[in-house]
Amino acid sequence: MPDKETSKLEPSQMKTDTEEPRIGVYTCYCGGNIGFVIDCERVADELGKLPNVVVTRTDMSMCSDVGQTMIEEDIREHGVNRVVIGACAPSLHEQTFRGTVSRAGLNPYFYHHVGIREQDSWVHSHDHEGATKKAIRLMSAGIAKARLLEPLEPIKLSAEKHALVIGGGVAGLRSAWDLSRRGLKVTLVEKSPFLGGHMAQLEKTFPSGEEAGGLLGPLIANVVSDPNITVHTYSEVTGVRGYVGDFHIQITQQSRGVDDTLGEAAMQACKTEVQDEFNYGLTNRKLVYKAYPGCYPSTPAVDWDHCPDGYLELEIDGRQIKLENQPKTFDINTGAVVVATGFQPYTPLKGEYGYLEHPEVLTLPQFIRLLTLIPEGKELQLNGHRVHNIGFVHCVGSRQIEGIHEAQEDGQVNNYCSRVCCTATLQAINELRQRYPDLNIVDIYEDIRTYGRGHEEYYAEASANQVLFMRFHGEEPAEVVRATDGDKSPLLIRVKDYLTWGEEIEVPVDMVVLAVGMMPTSIEDLIRLLKVSPGTDRFLLEVHPKLRPVETAVPGVVLAGTAQGPMNIKESIAAASAAASKVAVLLSRGKVELEPFVAHVDHELCTGSGECVEVCAYEDAISLKPVSMDGKEVEKALVTSANCVGCGVCVSACPNLAIDLQGWTLKQYDAMVDALVMDMSAIGVKHE
Amino acid sequence: MVQEKIRVDTLVVGGGIAGMQSALDLADQGYQVALVERDPSIGGKMIQLSKVFPTLDCCSCITTPKMSAVAHHENIQLFTYCEIQAIEENDQGFVSNALQKPRYVDVDTCTGCRQCEYACPIDVPHPFDRYLGAHRAAYVPFSTAVPQKALIDMENCILCGKCQRGCPANSIDFTQKEQPFEIESRAIILATGFEITPPDAKKEYGAGQFHNVVDALVMERLLAPTGPYGHVLRPSDGKEPDSIAYVQCAGSRDKTLGVEYCSRVCCMYAIKQAMLISGALPLADITIYYMDIRTFGKGYDQFYQTAQAMGIEFVKGKVARINEDENQNPVVRVEMIDEGSKVVERMHDMVVLSVGMLPCYDPQPIFGVRSAEDGFVLTPSINMAPCVTEHPGIFVSGTAAGPMDIVDSIVLAGAASAEAAAYLEANDGNRRSVKSTTNAARVTAHA
Amino acid sequence: MSEKEWAETLKRLREEHKETVARSQALLKEQQAKRKAIRKALEEGPRTVPEVADLTGFASHDVMWYVMAMKKFGLIEELEMDGEYYRYQLTQEKAK
Ligand SMILES: Cc1cc2nc3c(=O)[nH]c(=O)nc-3n(C[C@H](O)[C@H](O)[C@H](O)COP(=O)(O)OP(=O)(O)OC[C@H]3O[C@@H](n4cnc5c(N)ncnc54)[C@H](O)[C@@H]3O)c2cc1C
Ligand SMILES: Cc1cc2nc3c(=O)[nH]c(=O)nc-3n(C[C@H](O)[C@H](O)[C@H](O)COP(=O)(O)OP(=O)(O)OC[C@H]3O[C@@H](n4cnc5c(N)ncnc54)[C@H](O)[C@@H]3O)c2cc1C
Ligand code: SF4
Ligand code: SF4
Repeated sequence: MPDKETSKLEPSQMKTDTEEPRIGVYTCYCGGNIGFVIDCERVADELGKLPNVVVTRTDMSMCSDVGQTMIEEDIREHGVNRVVIGACAPSLHEQTFRGTVSRAGLNPYFYHHVGIREQDSWVHSHDHEGATKKAIRLMSAGIAKARLLEPLEPIKLSAEKHALVIGGGVAGLRSAWDLSRRGLKVTLVEKSPFLGGHMAQLEKTFPSGEEAGGLLGPLIANVVSDPNITVHTYSEVTGVRGYVGDFHIQITQQSRGVDDTLGEAAMQACKTEVQDEFNYGLTNRKLVYKAYPGCYPSTPAVDWDHCPDGYLELEIDGRQIKLENQPKTFDINTGAVVVATGFQPYTPLKGEYGYLEHPEVLTLPQFIRLLTLIPEGKELQLNGHRVHNIGFVHCVGSRQIEGIHEAQEDGQVNNYCSRVCCTATLQAINELRQRYPDLNIVDIYEDIRTYGRGHEEYYAEASANQVLFMRFHGEEPAEVVRATDGDKSPLLIRVKDYLTWGEEIEVPVDMVVLAVGMMPTSIEDLIRLLKVSPGTDRFLLEVHPKLRPVETAVPGVVLAGTAQGPMNIKESIAAASAAASKVAVLLSRGKVELEPFVAHVDHELCTGSGECVEVCAYEDAISLKPVSMDGKEVEKALVTSANCVGCGVCVSACPNLAIDLQGWTLKQYDAMVDALVMDMSAIGVKHE
Repeated sequence: MVQEKIRVDTLVVGGGIAGMQSALDLADQGYQVALVERDPSIGGKMIQLSKVFPTLDCCSCITTPKMSAVAHHENIQLFTYCEIQAIEENDQGFVSNALQKPRYVDVDTCTGCRQCEYACPIDVPHPFDRYLGAHRAAYVPFSTAVPQKALIDMENCILCGKCQRGCPANSIDFTQKEQPFEIESRAIILATGFEITPPDAKKEYGAGQFHNVVDALVMERLLAPTGPYGHVLRPSDGKEPDSIAYVQCAGSRDKTLGVEYCSRVCCMYAIKQAMLISGALPLADITIYYMDIRTFGKGYDQFYQTAQAMGIEFVKGKVARINEDENQNPVVRVEMIDEGSKVVERMHDMVVLSVGMLPCYDPQPIFGVRSAEDGFVLTPSINMAPCVTEHPGIFVSGTAAGPMDIVDSIVLAGAASAEAAAYLEANDGNRRSVKSTTNAARVTAHA
Repeated sequence: MSEKEWAETLKRLREEHKETVARSQALLKEQQAKRKAIRKALEEGPRTVPEVADLTGFASHDVMWYVMAMKKFGLIEELEMDGEYYRYQLTQEKAK
């Protein structure tokens, strides 16, 4: 096991001399992002005139190895002991440069980053002169701060080598398994009574044609037989406290209502039926149910959502039995959280392509279930009517255009592509063609997006097998209307087909299948508890699609699978494994490091008035505690660094100016403000 | 200097974004990694790009810090200009025979100052700039190369010794020889990436003979701030183009080339380039001829909508042929599908072929890993184990496993390192036991 | 390595790499001739690539490559655009 301790210098061992600041100022062209707008050479020249600035340099990309090496050399060889970099936003590369500075043996917090791209060149791209002046101003404020920088230590916390996975679909299962294989302990929480998520509802899966059950089964078996993984079904996260490395999670679990001895009999005895969500309402199921044959766990569960009073009375073997939901709540301690809460198929609005208006209109997930309900060799029927003509419509609930498509309740349209529906539709079409060679199949699409490895083959097969394709433009969605009485087929699809001159065509059909897209599972509560954010498409947002594609802005909370955006199984698996990798990076050493930008109380000045505690919005971040001073017990404000987010509200509330933010002190702010309003010409800087 | 034998946990072959990310993800967990790259610098194709979709980040802002992180990581040993020639397996894992090619430059003393390049008299078309720019026979690969060290291109060297006289660090060493060495590892990740469709693939599109019909990687270089011209200009004569057309699926979804798959990235990169061109040349007309626009990724369709709103013309049409007029203007013959499949000829200043992705390395002979029919590395369980090859202990990452963009490459790279880590843990005799002590039922469902 | 040893090493290597050296020498000759002609065309003042092509008789794409290479190594510099083309001049022009 190579978890070796490295010989890297700890910040405390690095140079932290508080002698005269010798500031190095580095202005980045950022390719041309900054350099094409801001005159970086002039910025460097002018800033070189400021006191304490001993070198100024520019580079095409300061974050490249060449740029970083230059900075390192200046620190090592020219005695630079404060570094100011003007470049992209600090969120992008602050960490990069902190590494540079510490590699050169200087405390990494003797570095200040000024954003002159997002804050300057990008927003003033047409005013080169103004942007250059602004850069000089912003960076001189950075230099003023740099003079007052103090050495800091990252906050080191021990970390639980344990991860919580939320969601027991293929992504969550896979993350859990990978984490365990890496040597971490895992708790998996699944909201429904059964594992498997939407993959369990599929039959054949593209691109390999393998049965979903055959793929999912072994994964579930691996997870549930793994001694490092604890699975809680019918459970939800109901409380979150703590921080990366040491989260305290409250889990609430519904009763199953029955156990193995009672289960089968209770299923028999239950007479009440509700729509079976597993078959998307095409069939009914009992209130005591198993989601699907071979489901895991195999013990049935009671559907409490449909038992309004929280109990269900059944007569079993002549006995009256009351099954009751007694939710149980417990806590776990974990180092990181993987959110794998998955997707929901888009539910068309009433009337959208005739949905819910005409019983002959189904969604693709429904249709996939329907195919499994019709035995091999039996004809394709819907509500007793034989289907001769069938039409598929792509992009339902995806790629919507504001003003053209009806908005959903929240006023939004889904303007993204759901990426799986094209191939899933063509797979269903090919399956249909094989089973029903005489069926007339029309596929109405905008673009066919069979992009993946082995996907194009489905398109080719459909094209070669008498599937009639029609292509609409996004602004002119097709319509589904009832045919006039006496027509052979009950419905008409009205579409402007651009494969034939954009003519409006009416296609008589017996059944319409809507290739609905994906929406994220609604998890408002979880979003609030974990403080993660959704993007404009409502899927959970990653920090940066390329730099940190599976991490959220909350340290220790990562994403897996379709909770982040539409994906197929392979992509969900890849994302789940990548999430496991990130968690392993975080936790495998048993400790995590946090930025030291937290509040710090000067106990000499603190009178224990407690105003800070009042205003602080974060749990356990600042509190009054007895401390002994000059032999006496007195109440003083104390900061729990790990819980402090460094928002600074307490700083402004303290009547005694006893609190400061490390790395962002009031003195540093004063110096920055002074620099921003200073008359630069007085010190020889050509500015105005 | 190269040691004769090194021992690591994982060998990563290929230093593009996927290989770098896999190496970093493993090294950050504390595993020892050797990264072997056949080119003189890491970075792969990504470092050649201008800006990258969908965020339009400048490419070097994303790539160069990763390159630097790889070079400085205490758990990564980087070997550039190096190739694996054979592997053997024993009960400890793999022994790979690596060959360090000679740079003819002492990398320990070279500072990358490029004085040798200035001294060298010979200009060589630069592959990094898709041959539109030049490097000298003595050269530093490119401005952000890692390592930032010179090398000598012996194929084009006249051995005049000028570089040696120009070098202030006395680093030129013509006596260097190939150096074989061994890398022992317990797992291997193949991240050998992709190639683009060769320029002469499509006879109908001029077989690479028309100077103003370029591939999209050329356009990336033209758009890059460090590019060969510093502007978007026609290679035939330096004219600033006012009308630029993209031909989609040029080398993908094409039975005649034996490439039936979709290359996944070309729709997006064409739209990206179109947007960047309209930034650089606001007056230029840009047309994209396509069959299907496949902007399927997160935020990608919105990107497409933005491009439409910017006035970029999207024409559903099959480009049958490209000819050249007497002024070297490409003339595109296209079946306009939205207009009843009318065939028209349209002249542009420049045509960009949205070339596809082809596999660039067949690992079968050396690594005993087969490729699928599409030529990319075979992953038998494509849905459930997208990084696992037929060969136990050998995994695949990035575009070596099929066309994909950077986001997907980075995610797959993370997945490959998860697979490799799991494999290392399972095959480590003296690993620290983390197995649970109890074997009680761990699936809770309370009655 | 002494100057003499160095010269001998080079000589030996030239022998070893006979073929590539011969080919590269021929290439260098051609390059020198072309660069000279281009320099000459620019001596009278800034020109666009097609103008240089006209003056030298070289194919314009070839001129483009040479001009860009010379620009990269500081021998030529770019001036403002003239219509649809940039003009280029010899770097020494500025010094004069
Ligand atoms: C019609 C259709 C056909 C498809 N066909 C294919 C195909 O052939 N091949 C292919 O590769 N892909 C296919 N897909 C895509 C595939 O279904 C998905 O990629 C995959 O199921 C995603 O898995 P997931 O784990 O991310 O999400 P899900 O399967 O949605 O799993 C999420 C799990 O999290 C649970 N959960 C949700 N909220 C909470 C909460 N708050 N707390 C705890 N648990 C929670 C849910 O109950 C669920 O079990 C298809 C998709 C559709 C819609
Ligand atoms: C014109 C164009 C524009 C693009 N634009 C974008 C974009 O804007 N956004 C985006 O997300 N994607 C874009 N892409 C896609 C992107 O380039 C790829 O997704 C990405 O570069 C793949 O990285 P990789 O590491 O898998 O492969 P590569 O970059 O090909 O890296 C493979 C590396 O392995 C090395 N190698 C190969 N064989 C061996 C061997 N035998 N031994 C040692 N080393 C070896 C190679 O030298 C290379 O360095 C674009 C692609 C093209 C063609
Ligand atoms: S995958 Fe196809 S059907 Fe689904 S939203 Fe995208 S283009 Fe439409
Ligand atoms: S991504 Fe677009 S251009 Fe590329 S092969 Fe696929 S459909 Fe064609």
